[in-house]
Amino acid sequence: MTQGWQAALEGLPYILKGVWVTLTVVAGALSMGLAIGLVLSVVQVYGKRPLRKLVGIYVWFFRGIPLLVLLFLFYFGVLGFLRIELSPFVVAVVVLGLISSAYQSQILRGAILSLAEGQLKAARAIGMSDTQAIIFIILPQAMRLALPAWSNEYTILLKDSAVTYALGVTEIMTRANHVAARTYQHFWIYIMAGFIFMALTYAGTKALQMLEKKVAIAGYTSR
Amino acid sequence: MIEELLFIRQEVAPAMLRGLWMSILLIIPSAVSGLLIGIATGLIRVYGRRFFRTIADGYVLFFRGFPLLVQLYLWYFGLPHVGIYLSPYTAAVIGFALCSGAYHSEYVRGALLSIKSGQMLAAKSLGFSRTGAIFTIILPQAIRRALPGSGNELIYLIKYSSLAYMVTCIELTGEAKILASSYFKYMEIFMIAGAVYLVLVSLTTWVLNRLEDAVAVPGFERIRS
Amino acid sequence: MVATDIILDLENLTKHYGDQKVLKGVSLSLRKGDIKVIIGPSGAGKSTLLHCINFLTTVDGGHIRLRDQEINFHRKRELYAYRQKIGMIFQDFNLFDHLTALENVQIGLVRVKKLPKTKARTIATSELERVGLLEHRHKYPAELSGGQKQRVSIARALAMEPEIMLLDEPTSSLDPELTGEVLAVIRKLAAGGMTMLMATHQIEFAASLADEIIFMENGTVVEQGPARKVLFDADGDRTREFCARIRGLEKGVSS
Repeated sequence: MTQGWQAALEGLPYILKGVWVTLTVVAGALSMGLAIGLVLSVVQVYGKRPLRKLVGIYVWFFRGIPLLVLLFLFYFGVLGFLRIELSPFVVAVVVLGLISSAYQSQILRGAILSLAEGQLKAARAIGMSDTQAIIFIILPQAMRLALPAWSNEYTILLKDSAVTYALGVTEIMTRANHVAARTYQHFWIYIMAGFIFMALTYAGTKALQMLEKKVAIAGYTSR
Repeated sequence: MIEELLFIRQEVAPAMLRGLWMSILLIIPSAVSGLLIGIATGLIRVYGRRFFRTIADGYVLFFRGFPLLVQLYLWYFGLPHVGIYLSPYTAAVIGFALCSGAYHSEYVRGALLSIKSGQMLAAKSLGFSRTGAIFTIILPQAIRRALPGSGNELIYLIKYSSLAYMVTCIELTGEAKILASSYFKYMEIFMIAGAVYLVLVSLTTWVLNRLEDAVAVPGFERIRS
Repeated sequence: MVATDIILDLENLTKHYGDQKVLKGVSLSLRKGDIKVIIGPSGAGKSTLLHCINFLTTVDGGHIRLRDQEINFHRKRELYAYRQKIGMIFQDFNLFDHLTALENVQIGLVRVKKLPKTKARTIATSELERVGLLEHRHKYPAELSGGQKQRVSIARALAMEPEIMLLDEPTSSLDPELTGEVLAVIRKLAAGGMTMLMATHQIEFAASLADEIIFMENGTVVEQGPARKVLFDADGDRTREFCARIRGLEKGVSS
């Protein structure tokens, strides 16, 4: 067994190279999720009935289908159907991003709704158009309220990124599998991989906490 | 074209049903075990003695920290190194149950802590033992509070059951992949698979909402959008 | 020949949280039928004292005797049996939120006293009737007003047939117009001969009901004696000062 974890340790540098890919996937998905989620949430709160319904269906769809199925569906199905070729990396980011947008839209929606309607009234009263009010008054506050949930979303996306192994994205899990296939030290290698994910979770959460502190406004707690 | 579709349905339907059945066989034991583990762990983490609390906290730390996929691989590919060989199904169920349990315990623990301390005081003042108070007064309230979170976790379980395919337990997603690869009909087949999951998820959500309504007590309501 | 049996005897109770001494040697005794009221500023230790009597908080020193028997609170069974004999009313009511009013009163009878459900229900119903809430018995705490909640909690405590009732500022969390209904119930209890130890800010009520008033400050009993004396003609300066202030407040409110 002592030989075991040493052999596993030798594979560590190779596995660690995957960290960069993992983080890029997560960052890409988070940002995409935020961008789309913002639009969706605004539509859901302020949009007209049929648009709201559409968003509802989108959210239901992307929250109801398993990640793995969506990855396969997109990579093998949609790309073939549209006759486009995209790397597994791009597909991974897009799929994770779309799923994340569905969840983030609900978080942001909740945050927007929790803001006192007085905010919108006051904005209108000083002559702002609704669009201006939403962009300059509502969203900045809603996003601060949603920060803690963003931390959660980061953790989830980080762990979900491991599933992209199924498409061959060269992130942590894929590399871990390569090393395992070579050294047969599956046990120690997966334990190592697990710890790497935990370390990334911890680091990311701490970073987001610092961000929370930086943008915090006195007296404005989301608890 | 229609003939083709019908023919495929002769091939597709049995395989999908086989897969669906396997998915259900995976989901139900995992869900039940996960919930029980979660409640037990939650109780220990709030009311247990230091030693057990630390173990429980450690369990939750690792089983929420490691990605589910890594956990599944450890059970199926890792355990053989210590001489334990689990079938794909067993490895999957154990993996799902323990991972799910860790998440459930978070919701249960949060719910238990959210119950006002006055409830325990009042129960004790009537002569309840600590255990009696926990099970008769605190837990019934906590479970109602944990229902939204735990219900959500159940939905996640249904979706993540698809990962069983990665440890060679062929359930719905596995059947779909195999079928799609054989016939090159990726789009259609994965859309069907996706639709089945959507139905499962929606059905479960509906049942969970009815359950919440059934056990609802004025003062414990959650506003659902 | 009037038997002066002492039901509850507290001898030199001390309690500290870290460096802070909350009770510095409090002694008190109650005879059957006594009604004693504790008054004093916030932080005096009134609530802590009451919580110590039924061991919801453990004392650090001193003795607590119920009918001459000292309780070994390490023996769980003894402790639970003892607590059944002491009824407690909390400032925050602490009704069990997931149970109806009737179930709140019933649950102690079923789970602690192990009575059959039907018998428990009968007793619970009559207790709720005694506090005037029969028609609300199927409501949940969230649907009751503060005064109703407190009355349910009184019914719940009474159903256990306690020998003593401890009341920890029973009306402090209530809106002014709701205190009357609760005070009426307490008055009825007193008239029925219940032994009570109550901490309260309701001075007029205390004066009309109490056999003895105990003034506590900083964890000690500063003065105790008949209501009229302590409130209007106390021996100690601090006592006079405090009582004058609260009398002034009450006068201001009632006029």
